[in-house]
This record gives sequence, structure tokens and C-alpha cells, in this order.
Amino acid sequence: MELIIQTLVNGLLIGGIFIMIAVGFTLAFGVMDIIDFAVGEWVMLGAFAAYWLQTLVHVDPLLFFPVIMLTFGAAAYVFQPVLQSVINIKHRSAALMALAFTFGLSTFFRGAALTLWGFNNRNIVTFLSDQSINILGITLPALRVAATVFAVIITIGFMVFLNKTKTGVAIRAAAENKTIAGLMGIDGQKVARTVYAIYAALTSLAGVFIGSIFSVNPDMGLRYTAFAFFVVVAGGMGSFAGAIAAAILLGLIASFVSVYVGGAYIFLILFLFLYFVLLFFSKGILGKGL
Amino acid sequence: MKNIGSKFLALLISIVIAAILVAGCGGSTKSTAEKRDYFKVGVITSLSGAEAYGGNVTRRGYELWAETVNKKGGIKLGEKSYQVKLIFADDQSDPNAGADAAQRMITSEKVDFILGPYTSGVTMAVAPILEKYKVPMITGSAESPLIWKQKFKYTFGTIPAVDLTGSQPLATLAKEVGSKPASIAILGVNDPFSKATAEAFKAAAEKEGIKVLKYDIVPAGTDFNPLISAIKGLNPDVLAVGGHEKEHMEIIKASKSLGFMPKVFLMHYGITTPDFIKNLGKNSDYVMGATTWTPDLNYKDAVFGSTKKYVEAAKIRYGSMPDYTEAACAATGQIFTAALAKIKAIPPLNEEQREKLVKALEEVKIDSTLYGPIKFATDGAWYHNNTGLKALTIQIMQGNQIIVGPKQVKLKDPVYPVPPMSSR
Repeated sequence: MELIIQTLVNGLLIGGIFIMIAVGFTLAFGVMDIIDFAVGEWVMLGAFAAYWLQTLVHVDPLLFFPVIMLTFGAAAYVFQPVLQSVINIKHRSAALMALAFTFGLSTFFRGAALTLWGFNNRNIVTFLSDQSINILGITLPALRVAATVFAVIITIGFMVFLNKTKTGVAIRAAAENKTIAGLMGIDGQKVARTVYAIYAALTSLAGVFIGSIFSVNPDMGLRYTAFAFFVVVAGGMGSFAGAIAAAILLGLIASFVSVYVGGAYIFLILFLFLYFVLLFFSKGILGKGL
Repeated sequence: MKNIGSKFLALLISIVIAAILVAGCGGSTKSTAEKRDYFKVGVITSLSGAEAYGGNVTRRGYELWAETVNKKGGIKLGEKSYQVKLIFADDQSDPNAGADAAQRMITSEKVDFILGPYTSGVTMAVAPILEKYKVPMITGSAESPLIWKQKFKYTFGTIPAVDLTGSQPLATLAKEVGSKPASIAILGVNDPFSKATAEAFKAAAEKEGIKVLKYDIVPAGTDFNPLISAIKGLNPDVLAVGGHEKEHMEIIKASKSLGFMPKVFLMHYGITTPDFIKNLGKNSDYVMGATTWTPDLNYKDAVFGSTKKYVEAAKIRYGSMPDYTEAACAATGQIFTAALAKIKAIPPLNEEQREKLVKALEEVKIDSTLYGPIKFATDGAWYHNNTGLKALTIQIMQGNQIIVGPKQVKLKDPVYPVPPMSSR
């Protein structure tokens, strides 16, 4: 019985980290029509940012996460027009152009990280690293709990932001229909830049947690790109709630399969699941996607 | 104006990307003249991708050998000495890319022979290409027994296969500690080397009468938390893992965060690498593993002088202690040197000379290199593998790898059960 609860908890806690990636990824898709192939590399860069904060500035990177988020947000805000100009090229499919461009970007980031920082596996130590919470025989690693709590706070904060603020409403309007939103006086370009900045900030934060829980190296991003794709497709393209549900489901499936079926079958079962979702629920598990 | 600005920026970025990509490809593509007075040696290993760390461990070994040989004038054949020029190819930790790299090495770079990949997976993809073009290769790293079972004529290996070495730590635990472990859980990552390691652990555990509570092969990049939770419930005396340093690090971290502490962790390969010890600090202590070499051994060596001198040279060159893979790679070039001396073939080698070289590699026996004696098996299940070395059990103690078994050669007694991570 304890093992079932522990497995459930493990799944929920890793799902929390996936939520952080999925929320921004889905939003970027909804507003900008881009499927960012470089999502994993934003995770990797976030993890490296945390590592360098720890190594060069000697501070606990987890306490300085706002600095990392702001830096990444600002960098993305500056960079977004470049991406936009690629998407806007006439007579080309925006989604395809973005996919090709971000694919190149991901290769570039990975190559640059390998060249600049080398091949070593690195470790981030935070004040939560060695801590865990024990409740009735269930062990909750503190870092993962913190990541999940953050994911929940961010998601709620985001919902409030999208529903209660002017910018939030503008983002939702742009996500719904760009042309009409433009006619209503919403600056589509500015909304897109804001969204891209939020997305990069969130993903870098996920990177800080992932780097602390696992390890940091230039190649760590790829698997999270795969997970992000899984979450967004299973959740229904562009569906916010669907992505959150899919992120949790992804964590739970991975956790239960590795305990009760065998580690060898994790990916087989995950992608079999995705296959059936696409076959029978083409709008995602909650039926809210495109 | 704004639009033009961003287009310009886009152009600029693409130029930078293109420049980096071109620079990254490296190597010269100039066609080589018929005549050259140096040996062109291909190195295929993982310089990027998931195994970039280990790939660079092998690169260091090969590179230091070439640099040292060149400093001494080169490979001496008769009256004349020939410099060694290494041509690197990145297999990106991917067997397919490795096979492509081998093809390119042979057909466009026209290398004389090849120093082989870090991973067993890439080695098995490269080997058939070498059979086709008849170019000999020695891998100073790959340890999967599956390579040797296929009896590739042109592929050799310096490190004994893991089914010859992996059983040693369990033999030490079964025979040389106060109370023998009763149970074990075994995890292996799903690649040819790590899987073979897990199999070797399982076979050894069964032979020694240690009960196997769990045996699971998991995909690379798995989150180990759920698996460790399940293993914690089984409460084994030993957790044995076949994988590389990254997985071992993550398993130790996951175990600590879940409060799981077996009586000992047994891990292979990667606990001997500086990264493992540096990243985990005290938590890396008491982890047990298998090896065929440690920096404490002292062999005579024709190129470096001795094991000790090699270790010093490597420490100066790369700033960290070499491990057994790095050492084996540094010794690998010497086998080619000995075989070349035997057939007196000067570069560039033609097909007939390469055939002779393979034959010479089979016959050559070096009594002492910095890594130990080298002699390739010429028949049986370990065809072309250097099977002569004794396996050692090591345990990390205060950040150093200490030989704790077998009894005749141990430097310290094995610590078992080990103190929990929380009380160190």
C-alpha cells in the first residue's frame, strides 16, 4: 500500500516539473503558432545559469531564481522579433518555418554549450538538495516538492494574470483570433514578445529545478523537448488545461510503469498511450485542443 | 526600419551559426597525396551527445599517447621515425553517426588504422565498416562482450570484456567481508555495455548465492525516483547498477533524497572518473566498482616510462587523475607501434600491409605497458579482446579509488556495510 502511494506521489512530483515546461510551451504555441523545438535547450540553459550562479557567484541558485527568470525573460523579449521575422516570411507556413528555425536554434544552443562549457556532467547543490519530508512512511524529496509547489503557484498566478489583467486579456484575445484582436487595437507584436518572454522565463526555471534534481550537461535538453511534445500533443494542441492534465498523466504513467511493469517499458507504454490519444481523442485528453 | 533591423539580425545569427557549424566539422578534407611520411590515425569517439564525457576521456588517452610519441620523434621503424597525426571524428554518441564517421575516415581521409570508440554500441556499428574496407581498429574503451562474440577480424579491444571483470566485486563481497550480503537489486541502462554489465552482476550474484530481488533494464534518461522507491521497499543489501557516470550520480542523488541506503552501492562504469567523485563529494565514498587498473599500479612503459610517470603526465596535461579507460586508451597506440615494428610497414599503408598488420596484432604480446600486459585472444568467445588482465574490486574512500579485492592484491579491507550517507 505504501508503495502505491509512494509511486503516486513520485508521479505527481515529476508531473509538476513537466507542468512548468508545458504551460509556457502551450502558450507560445497558442499565441505565436510556434512549436519551439528548442524548448529542451531553454531547460539546459536555465540549468547552466543556475550552475554558474553557484560556481562563480557562490550563491544558492534556488534562492536567486527570480534573477534567472528575469534574465531569460529579457533575453527572449529582445530575441523574439528575430523569430517573428522568420515566421512572417510571406507564402510560407508559419508553423513549419518556426519548427525549422527553432530546430536550428536548438542545435546551435547545444553546440555552443558544448564548445563553451565542455563535456563535463555537473551538479547543482541547493539548500533543499539533501532534504526530504517523511509522512507516514512516504518520502517526499524536498526539491521535487518545491518544484511542484512552484508549478502550482505559477499556474494559478498565470490563470489570474490571463483573466484579470489587461495584458492577460490581450494575450487570450490574440490566442483566439489574431486578426480580430488586431482590429480591436491589440498590438499583436507586443503580445507575442511578452508571451515568448514568459515562456522562456518559465522554462529556465524548470531548468533550474531539473538541473538540481538530476545533473547538468549540454545534452540534457533533448529528452525534455520530447516530453514537451508529448504533453502538448496528448493535452490537445494549445489547450492550457489539457497540457496540465497531460503533464501529470505523463508523470504518473512513467512512475507506475517503472514500478509495476518494468523500466524497460516506460517509453513503449508512453508512446502507445500517445498513439491511442491521437487515434481516439484527436483534440487531446480533455477534448479542448485544436 | 524595425523590420529591416530584425532581418539583419536574423541574417547575422544565421551566419554565426553557419560559421560555428563549419568550424565544428573540423578536420581537413584535402585529398592526401600518395606519399606521406607520417601515420594518419583515425580516432572515432563520442565528442558530443549523451556520452560526450566518456568520449573525451578516451580522446585524452589517445591524444596524450600521440603527443608523447611525437615529442620523442615518432614511431621508429628501422632507421627512420614517423610522426603520428590523429584525425578526430565525432560519433555524436550515436551508432549510425559512428558508422558514417568510419566510412568517411577510411574513404576520404584514408587513415592507416583507427583508435576506436568510447561506447560499445558505436564500436559494434563501426566494426562492420572496417570489415568491408579492411582497416584495423583497436578500441581502448569498449567493454561489451557482444563485440567479441561476433568475431570481427579487424576489431580489437584493450579492456577485458565486462563479463570477465564485472563478477569480481560480488566475489569480494561474497568471500571477503564479515557477513556476506544476502540480497541484491540490479539495474542496467539499455545500451550494449550497461546491459552486459547488469547481466554480469546477475550471473555473479547467482553464482555466489546472493538472492536477486529485482533485475530491471531501463531506458537511458529515465527518472530513477520511482525505481529507487520500489527497490527501497524490497530492502536489498546491495544495489548494483550498470551504466555510466551520469546515471550513477543520479541514482545516488535519488537514493539520498528518498532516504534509501543499501549496505553498499556497486556501480560500473564511471565511478573512477573525476566527475563522479567531484560532483558527489562525500556521497561518492564507499561506492564499489570493478576495474582492471588504478593509478596506484606500477608497470613499466615504453612510451611514458612507467604507470606513475604516465599518471603525472596526464594530471599535468588535463588537470585530473586518469581512470582506467583513459589509461587503456593511452596504452592502445603502443600495440599498433609494436605490430608496425614487426611488419616494418611505412606509411601510407596499403591493403596488403593492413592485412599483415592485423596478423601482427594477433601475434604481438607486450609484457608491460602503463596499463598492464596486452595480448589479444585469437579464438573463443572473447576473440580479439585483451583478456589477460586481472579484475580488481575497488571502493571509493575519501575520494580515492582503493583496491579492496581480490585478497592477494588489496590495499585496504573492503568496507561493508558502509556508513549511511547522512552520517558522513
